[in-house]
Amino acid sequence: MFRIEADRARFREIVRGKIREDLKKYLSTPELIARQGQHAVSVPIPQIELPQFCFGQNEKGGVGQGPGQKGDEVEGEGSGKDGAGAAGEGEGQHILEVEVELEELAEMLGRELELPRIEPRGKRQLLSDGGRYSGVSNAGPDSLRHFRRSYRQALKRTISAGAWDPAAPRVVPIRDDFRYRARRIAPTPESSAVVIHMMDVSGSMGREQKEIVRIEAFWIDTWLRSQYQNLEVVYIVHDAVAKIVDHDSFFHLRESGGTKISSAYELCLKLIGEKHRPEDWNIYPFHYSDGDNWSARDTEKCVSILRDEILPRVNQFCYGQVKSAYGSGQFKKDLDEALGGDERVVTASVADRGDIHTAIRAFLGKGR
Amino acid sequence: MHAQSRSRSRLGAELSGWAQHIESVARGHGLTFHPVEFELLDASDVNGLASYGGFPVRYPSWRFGMEFERLEKGYQWGLSKIYELVINNDPVVAYLVRSNSLLEQKLVMAHVFGHADFFRNNCWFAGTERKMLDKMAAHATAVRRRIDRLGIDKVERFLDLALSVENLLDPYLALRRTLQGRSVPGSSAPGGAQPSGAPDFARCQPPTYDILGYLCAHAPLEDWQREILTLVREEAYYFQPQRMTKIMNEGWASYWHSRILTGGVLDASEIVDFADCHSGATLTAPGRLNPYKLGIELFRYAERRGEDLMRLRRVHDDASLIDELVDDEFVASQKMFVYTRNTRSGKSEVEGRDGRAVKERLLGELSWGGLPRIELVGVDEGGALRLEHHHDGRDLQLAKARETLLRVSALWSGPVVLDTREDNAPRRLRCRGGEVSVEERTVARDTDDDVHESAHDNGA
Repeated sequence: MFRIEADRARFREIVRGKIREDLKKYLSTPELIARQGQHAVSVPIPQIELPQFCFGQNEKGGVGQGPGQKGDEVEGEGSGKDGAGAAGEGEGQHILEVEVELEELAEMLGRELELPRIEPRGKRQLLSDGGRYSGVSNAGPDSLRHFRRSYRQALKRTISAGAWDPAAPRVVPIRDDFRYRARRIAPTPESSAVVIHMMDVSGSMGREQKEIVRIEAFWIDTWLRSQYQNLEVVYIVHDAVAKIVDHDSFFHLRESGGTKISSAYELCLKLIGEKHRPEDWNIYPFHYSDGDNWSARDTEKCVSILRDEILPRVNQFCYGQVKSAYGSGQFKKDLDEALGGDERVVTASVADRGDIHTAIRAFLGKGR
Repeated sequence: MHAQSRSRSRLGAELSGWAQHIESVARGHGLTFHPVEFELLDASDVNGLASYGGFPVRYPSWRFGMEFERLEKGYQWGLSKIYELVINNDPVVAYLVRSNSLLEQKLVMAHVFGHADFFRNNCWFAGTERKMLDKMAAHATAVRRRIDRLGIDKVERFLDLALSVENLLDPYLALRRTLQGRSVPGSSAPGGAQPSGAPDFARCQPPTYDILGYLCAHAPLEDWQREILTLVREEAYYFQPQRMTKIMNEGWASYWHSRILTGGVLDASEIVDFADCHSGATLTAPGRLNPYKLGIELFRYAERRGEDLMRLRRVHDDASLIDELVDDEFVASQKMFVYTRNTRSGKSEVEGRDGRAVKERLLGELSWGGLPRIELVGVDEGGALRLEHHHDGRDLQLAKARETLLRVSALWSGPVVLDTREDNAPRRLRCRGGEVSVEERTVARDTDDDVHESAHDNGA
């Protein structure tokens, strides 16, 4: 409607400014995750209203209408006369939800954490040629002859030659008139990526640790989704054995027992070998645990799988070590020692939610 | 009303035929009103117009955008749908939504004539600006001109300050002026030379409730700032009577749409749909008061008691009408009750159905237009505005009060003090230099004490 769109745009601009200001806060809470839709999240924004003098909480109820005995609970509550009485206004926390496109959220994240855009991997600059027959050429096989274009050409020639007679509209095509459909080469950069989230769900990973992983994973996905046209996410959980699970179980599954990290890496490798081949995909394995592994032997095995098999095939491997009451934190040390010099490996430790944004910056800061 | 013809157009032959018919029926019942102009509107434009309070042109503000966003969400989720919009103006402008059924259009038209009669005849509206459509457009132009010259940020920041204090006004000011001019409409010929628009503020002195007026007159503002504050005040006074008479106004319009439509405007086949549509609008959700419902029931109750309805609609506002009409019988027949919040469970519970208690509670909520009653009692030697909240048992929300005080202080360019109570203990909020402190006052309003304090302020 007329001018209201301008006012709405202004309002949204203000809201975005507010979100940008508070992004650090959102980075460490799961608030946005629960509100994620297909393409957007709805962000709750408290207190954007203009302050005015109004009644507070000790307002002692109001007048209602309907059945009910003394002491019965009032449904819906509040004398619904808005304006007067302003019942139900509570703390004045009129929370308004504003939809923000995931794309835009990623852009805010990028700006806040100064993330570089991801540069395509060297060999990935292979341009795939889209095979669409949207062009026209003068030569080609008969099976691709473009009838309408050919006719038009013949008609043009007939008219310009003065041979056109409206009373007897006859057009005879000659060799030169024929036109053929042609494949137009439309180079598009490789644009698919897969994120493989692996998480230790053994007994020592508690609720808070998983929550941290969840928040991290949300932001990582959001960012990568903004960088690739097509993003797939795979979830792997492991204790002593690894398995692929869906999004929900990833964050809620709780297993007990030991931890064998190599099991997850092997499964990851299998995925890379079969379903998400490096020729077709940009691959981002992420692994989260509290740093405990079954044995030093298994850690050695992990390192060798990483170094020899996984790293050559992926864009970057990230390990996030979440501090728990039980974890020794040894695994990060081992990784750093063995692969610290490799720029395809990023490790970060997260002591609490406040560290999430540093970890994200470390993971995504290389632009790989 | 210039470039908007795109989506608004006059009624077609069928609807204007009905509009004329309904108008003559309304006049036959003794309703009087300024000419009513109906306009057809696309459903997609209703929310935009509603965000502007029904006016096609308002000054630019993100607040309208926020309201628009809210209405759109409500509409998408099916929580709300706007049937009608009426503007108190001469001519009265009312919008009909193109997608409504013919029955709905008839109902809305009859409803609109009820509102139009109320605007014309209720004493609270006597002094309202009747060329508000033009005025709003002029305000919009003025603000836009300032924005062009000073930039959106600067103007917007000030406008936001001004809007924070828009309810610091004296709801009785315009009515007092009307009564002094002895021009209660209906009793004398309406029109004429009675003053209209927002009351003059040039001679505004404390003690006063017209804090907005006092700021317009005495705050050290730049010209453009004073212009904006003045127009915000003008619009606030224009909307104020609608706040004071919401129940009556809706009740009156509902009473008349029901009487007009069932009195021959509808044919028999439409009656059931009408009942459905009408009961939808006057539905009471459990535990809630619906102003349409309460209003229409009040007028029907008065009718049964043999009261003069035309007089009631002329002389009352919501509070005084309820004071006159509500008694034990009404409370019982409407199944009304008082509820309180159970502090332990946080839930609201029915407290009782005593007629007097219900009435008292209703009146308490409606008094002073439902707003906290805040008075400017004086300006002390230190230049501080002294505000006093007349506490009626309901505390202010202190967090918001602090914020608001900061803004009053910014407008005043000086300190502001607000006396209020919290949990029955006196509190003084003192705002100076961009900070608010809360003091507990053990001595209740001791003038000597105040003088002493302000002297101390000067020294500091």
